[in-house]
Amino acid sequence: MKPVAVCLALLVTPVVAAADPIPDIVDRHILPKFHLLAQRTKALSGAAHQECDPRSAALRAAYGAAFDAWVSASHLRFGPTEVNDRAFALAFWSDKRGATPRALTALLTQEDSIATSAQTYAEASVAARGVYALEYLLYDEALISMAGATYRCALLQAVSADMAASASAIYEDWQSDFAAKLRSPEPAAVYRSPAEVLQVLFKSLSTGLQFTSETRLGRPLGRFDRPRPARAEARRSGRSSRHVQMSLAAQQDLALRLAGDEAELRAKLQAGFMRALLQLADLQDPVFEGVADPQSRLKIESLQQSVDAIRAIVREDLGPKLGVTVGFNALDGD
Amino acid sequence: MKYACLTSTVLFVSVAAPAFAVDKAEVLKTYADIAFAKYSDSLTTAQRLQTAVTALVSEPSAAALQDAKSAWLAARVPYQQTEVYRFGNPIVDDWEGKVNAWPLDEGLIDYVDASYGGASDENEFAALNVIANPRFTLSGKAIDATKITPALLEGSLQEADGIEANVATGYHAIEFLLWGQDLNGHAAGAGNRSWTDYAKGAACTNDNCDRRGEYLGAATELLVTDLEWMAAQWADGGAARAVLTADTTAGLAAILSGMGSLSYGEVAGERMRLGVMLNDPEEEHSCFADNTHNDHYYDGLAVQNVYLGTYVRSDGTLVTGPSLADLVALKDPALDVEMQTKLSRTMMSLGRIKTTAEAGFAYDQMLERGNAAGESLIMGRPLRTIAPKPAQQGGNGAHRRFGGWG
Repeated sequence: MKPVAVCLALLVTPVVAAADPIPDIVDRHILPKFHLLAQRTKALSGAAHQECDPRSAALRAAYGAAFDAWVSASHLRFGPTEVNDRAFALAFWSDKRGATPRALTALLTQEDSIATSAQTYAEASVAARGVYALEYLLYDEALISMAGATYRCALLQAVSADMAASASAIYEDWQSDFAAKLRSPEPAAVYRSPAEVLQVLFKSLSTGLQFTSETRLGRPLGRFDRPRPARAEARRSGRSSRHVQMSLAAQQDLALRLAGDEAELRAKLQAGFMRALLQLADLQDPVFEGVADPQSRLKIESLQQSVDAIRAIVREDLGPKLGVTVGFNALDGD
Repeated sequence: MKYACLTSTVLFVSVAAPAFAVDKAEVLKTYADIAFAKYSDSLTTAQRLQTAVTALVSEPSAAALQDAKSAWLAARVPYQQTEVYRFGNPIVDDWEGKVNAWPLDEGLIDYVDASYGGASDENEFAALNVIANPRFTLSGKAIDATKITPALLEGSLQEADGIEANVATGYHAIEFLLWGQDLNGHAAGAGNRSWTDYAKGAACTNDNCDRRGEYLGAATELLVTDLEWMAAQWADGGAARAVLTADTTAGLAAILSGMGSLSYGEVAGERMRLGVMLNDPEEEHSCFADNTHNDHYYDGLAVQNVYLGTYVRSDGTLVTGPSLADLVALKDPALDVEMQTKLSRTMMSLGRIKTTAEAGFAYDQMLERGNAAGESLIMGRPLRTIAPKPAQQGGNGAHRRFGGWG
């Protein structure tokens, strides 16, 4: 995305300060994102049933659209996404031990009958399910031609249909049940008070930013003397940089809604996100190949620092405003 | 998992509020005393392991291998209970990878089955096999490994090429050298290395028995010296104790960070939930020895005994003193009851995994695809709620705060 386009995106999607951030975030941030994810994974599943050629433009476009929707919602990891490991089943990454290609290779070489339907496929290893597994099936040169065409097609369809099922279940749970839990916390419920709801929303934001910095950027960066371009997210489909852009845009939306009517804080957050998004656009490096080159590497490191600067604003200004702290998250440990 | 929920939300509250009647410095002292006791016990049991390893290498036999395995299993009991000192104490975090790093690409160390594959995208040296190769090149540097020494393992091989899976030292490297690869998949059985892998002369199997023995000896020696060092850091006047006690509030926060991060992100997440989701028999902490049920159990016990300020040493001595539980009870007795109840319930759940594994249903079998009983054991769910009706899913307490990230 060009810098101009980024500025434009910031201008045309202003977040208007809402009196109560919770219903605002539920109705204008969370529900639309999971609705879109459900729609686009359903469309992807439809496309896979129309067209089984991994190189098909229509199929790849449907795939990209579904992936966009996931990345934009990927920071919302609580409640319905965590039931039955749905979010992991939609998106298992980072994959430090190469579990995804290993699991897919095993399925393909054995022509495992688990790929008969979305229902049976729900039992498969999460490494073989979701957007990252599908990327291998659509873009990886080795896997694209493994096993017989009929089985490959069945697997592609099972993975897509399984994604649609997970996304639809997440959206249904949000609509029928979980949205109300956020809107109306009560002493005996999952969230006991508005403060607890704000806590989980704040944590989604801060953990999402941490993931953008440490994983989406940090994994390909590696160390200066040992950069790891092969670890860039979704590099096979050329989407690494796009994911940083989309996740930052989604996190910006959430941050501004949480900031409410605090003009100074909003301006500070806006400036922080703007800076990072402009730096990203300026890179013009879709898969962060530049990590291996000292000159361009500096720019990617600088981008990472800008994301960390946003994290500092979130931690030091937004957190106290909301009266919450980060506490523990699933990225703790090593 | 249950204590993860509690520590992440409630415990920080207790730190923020002062409780005057229990001396916080005394609580830190108990914590440091328990650390010293646990690392000292780890050292003693590692020294016993070293004795057994020396016997195995000098006079190889099936019985000598079995003795070494038993000594390794015993050594894990106190060591796993030190893991609660990670994530809160930088001195432990900087050091821990040397002794307990996992998972490992074991092909770096010794021969592996053909199904293991070779170098991978992530790790060029996944199948280096140091035991069979006295000379090789690592990241452009020629390495002379004709003599396998602690210095070679520590200096050149550990995390070779910056890859964490290149684990050359510590408990799990030793575990691999004693048990070998577990080639049973999800079926019963652990690694089944024959004692003849250490036999002398013509009886030697899989070649390079001398070098294998040399590696095992060097890795065990290193483990002992590493543990000696860490125990000293927690002795009176030791550096870890000094850092911990320099700032009382920060010290209490370190205790909580260790309890929370170990239980939630590390054990409940990385070591338990991930394995269930991947259905991969290699996704277990002690995958060669099939000792994972104990790894989890003693990690859980560690969170509990740090909270309660009570630890029974491997020689039967009791170490106890003013505890976090005392602090919490003064400030909020109901919270302390909740905390103790949940820690006890967690130990019951971990005990259920342990006893089931000991009766013959190993941890890697529990990870098998579609194995509902194994999944219920590991995820801590009663069997009847494995597939709740959609209407119940939003409301059950299972994901109360135990989100993927939340």
